[in-house]
Amino acid sequence: MISLKKVGFLINPIAGMGGAVGLKGTDGLAEEARRRGAKPVATHRAETALKKLLGLDALFFTASGKMGESALRRCGLEYQVVCQTSEESSAEDTKKTCRSFLDRCADLVVFCGGDGTARNVSGVIRSQVPIIGIPAGVKMHSGVFTISPQAAGELIRGYLEGDLNVRETEIVDVDEEKYRAGTLDTKIYGIAATPYKPALVQERKQIYSASSEEEFKEEIAIFASEFMRDGSAYILGAGTTTAKIAEVLRVEKTLLGVDVVKDGRVICTDASEEDLLGIIDEVGEIKIIVSPIGAQGFVLGRGSQQISPKVLRKVGPENLIIVATPHKLKETPRLLVETGDFDLDETISGRRQVICGYRIAQLKDVEASSRVGMDQSGSF
Amino acid sequence: MKTKILLDEEELPKRWYNVAADLLTPLDPPLHPQTGEPLKPEDLEMIFPKGLIRQEMSTDRWIDIPDEVREILRLWRPTPLFRAHRLEEHLKTPAKIYYKYEGVSPAGSHKPNTAVPQAYYNMKEGVERIATETGAGQWGSALSMATCLFDIQCRVYMVRASFDQKPYRKSIMQVWGAECVASPSELTNAGRMILKEHPNTGGSLGIAISEAVEDAATHENTNYALGSVLNHVLLHQTVEGQELQKQMAMVEDYPDVIYGCVGGGSNFPGMVFPFIPDKLKEKKEIRMVACEPSACPTLTKGLFTYDFGDTARLTPLLKMYTLGHDFIPPSIHAGGLRYHGDAPLLCNLVHDRVIEAQSFHQNEVFKAAVTFARTEGILPAPEASHALKPAIDDAIACKKTGEEKTIVISLSGHGHFDLSSYDAYFAGNLEDYEYPAELVKQSLANLPKF
Repeated sequence: MISLKKVGFLINPIAGMGGAVGLKGTDGLAEEARRRGAKPVATHRAETALKKLLGLDALFFTASGKMGESALRRCGLEYQVVCQTSEESSAEDTKKTCRSFLDRCADLVVFCGGDGTARNVSGVIRSQVPIIGIPAGVKMHSGVFTISPQAAGELIRGYLEGDLNVRETEIVDVDEEKYRAGTLDTKIYGIAATPYKPALVQERKQIYSASSEEEFKEEIAIFASEFMRDGSAYILGAGTTTAKIAEVLRVEKTLLGVDVVKDGRVICTDASEEDLLGIIDEVGEIKIIVSPIGAQGFVLGRGSQQISPKVLRKVGPENLIIVATPHKLKETPRLLVETGDFDLDETISGRRQVICGYRIAQLKDVEASSRVGMDQSGSF
Repeated sequence: MKTKILLDEEELPKRWYNVAADLLTPLDPPLHPQTGEPLKPEDLEMIFPKGLIRQEMSTDRWIDIPDEVREILRLWRPTPLFRAHRLEEHLKTPAKIYYKYEGVSPAGSHKPNTAVPQAYYNMKEGVERIATETGAGQWGSALSMATCLFDIQCRVYMVRASFDQKPYRKSIMQVWGAECVASPSELTNAGRMILKEHPNTGGSLGIAISEAVEDAATHENTNYALGSVLNHVLLHQTVEGQELQKQMAMVEDYPDVIYGCVGGGSNFPGMVFPFIPDKLKEKKEIRMVACEPSACPTLTKGLFTYDFGDTARLTPLLKMYTLGHDFIPPSIHAGGLRYHGDAPLLCNLVHDRVIEAQSFHQNEVFKAAVTFARTEGILPAPEASHALKPAIDDAIACKKTGEEKTIVISLSGHGHFDLSSYDAYFAGNLEDYEYPAELVKQSLANLPKF
């Protein structure tokens, strides 16, 4: 018989709100995000994971209200509020709640948020208890995140029911100030333990600096600069490969923002979802160029939330151009999409051409990350 | 039922067949790289012997093979035609599968068929040294052997990607007395220029050709030799198809389809050109399918236009299907098929729809190669295996239709120097590269016109 497992569970309810409105992170900017019309996303994602845990012999420790209690109640799971938190949740609330988890000897800590939340959680928990992150933030570079909320649900269940191994992984975050200014400056903030199942846990995001990698970026950029002369507008997603395209075109690009280029000129910098929808109506012919994010392999859904399902549907999935260097593709087991619109993810999935050099492409499998999670569900 | 269909040594063809005499549309002439005017024989004399230039420009249907050349070809010719009973049985197909195997030559491929006459004509005209390029190493090995037999020095510029993948190609060339260097090299202006821009490049056949042509033009009593593309090379390879015709007649059969791999185009044309009069004059229903890599799909995705044969624009302009002389194909494991253009004679026939073309990804090609090796025993070269893939598919399709189709594969060489490629395949390390044809078309349409 399996003994009752104790799981610490918390949600950062404002996580991920900055993404769709062009803020690269929500730390200290929840109010601004709301003003720009952002909707909360974390609670819904957390509940998607929790629904996978029905019938599990576990007791959840959690924080009051939006930080966990409400979601657990709605999902019908057994819980105990171990920390009272303020209405406007803060980093301090997260840390306080985590300390309560340790006091009560939780077997596992699960949180829903982004890299900022991961830093706060692991700052308290360290490697004492395994941590699983349900992805809901704008930036998710840390290795504790699973590839989708569904996958998180399965990993939690697998760990509590069975014999999954635990490994150490880095907690990393991007300096949001620099990130907004266009510099990708990731830093390791700590080491955490996390249950490990290769297909379900993100590899830590990698940023390459090898010179040959740069050459390939340049090749891709030169090719792109040639085919981009067709009069269409091009939405350029985030990342260093798309930044190289802008460099070759001699236009300014925000490194992690989404910009729109037409006929060799930038027509919108750091565009929000709303900006993009406006431009699509205006310009007619429009295409999207995106690159997978590091070793995670996400081409859509992480880092470029402005390219939302609405934007993608208007542009048409056939006008999505994926670019990536061969090195990056080698390190990326598969390419993933997670736009938040399951049907759209399915449409984009399949074997797709990825431009990886001058007039060269590789054929890669693109999969909906939620599908990856479901396919693995029976394998624990 | 016979497995090996063998011809007597005396049946080695006495003449080469020149398809230029039977084209539907006359061949567009090669153009001078500087003037853009049609090339004159004397333009080629700096790097080729007159005997080969005459063949290059000839429209005579038949050209005699010198006895000295036939004497050497006898070392391995006529090559065997095999009936692939075991592969047929494995596939449970009603189709009859044959393969003509050129891997029995000393260099392991069809390349000596032209290396020997090329070395011979150079020797006859007193040339002491030959420079050439090689992709997978097959041509370099073949010419090393041929020059060795005629006592001529030889330097081979080998495409870097293959040089690194197949170190023993260099060793075999050394045994035959040749010098093999990785291209791009520091030995030529063309090589130095490329290295400056792309220090880590895997090279390409186009770059290696530039180096070899420059070497020949700048060294005393040195000629250049090309193992593919040119008319005289395709001419020399027609011994293959002529033998095949006799061998098929011996078993009272005739091909419904012939599959062969194409890089620059020499083995495949050599096998199928002798069947062109059957198709055009006698209206025989025979399909000839050129098989190329999807990573470098010249015939299936290229433009039919004049282009340079090399990267540095040193060669004459040839009317051919091309992906652009500045295109450096990805480093796939069929190194011999990484060429941006194709033989003008072959392109002419593809353009006139006499010959078909199809392209394949390397993982599916290796899968077919392994199936073949595990049934027929022979380990095929990755290049040759491009012909195995559609042949196997075709045979499987015959299971549904019940057709007893006669399928012939031109198996151009063995893969004994390609074992690292097989290792990479089994380790799951082979990427399927593709040519983004639509985006390239979009980019070319908007490039400034010269």
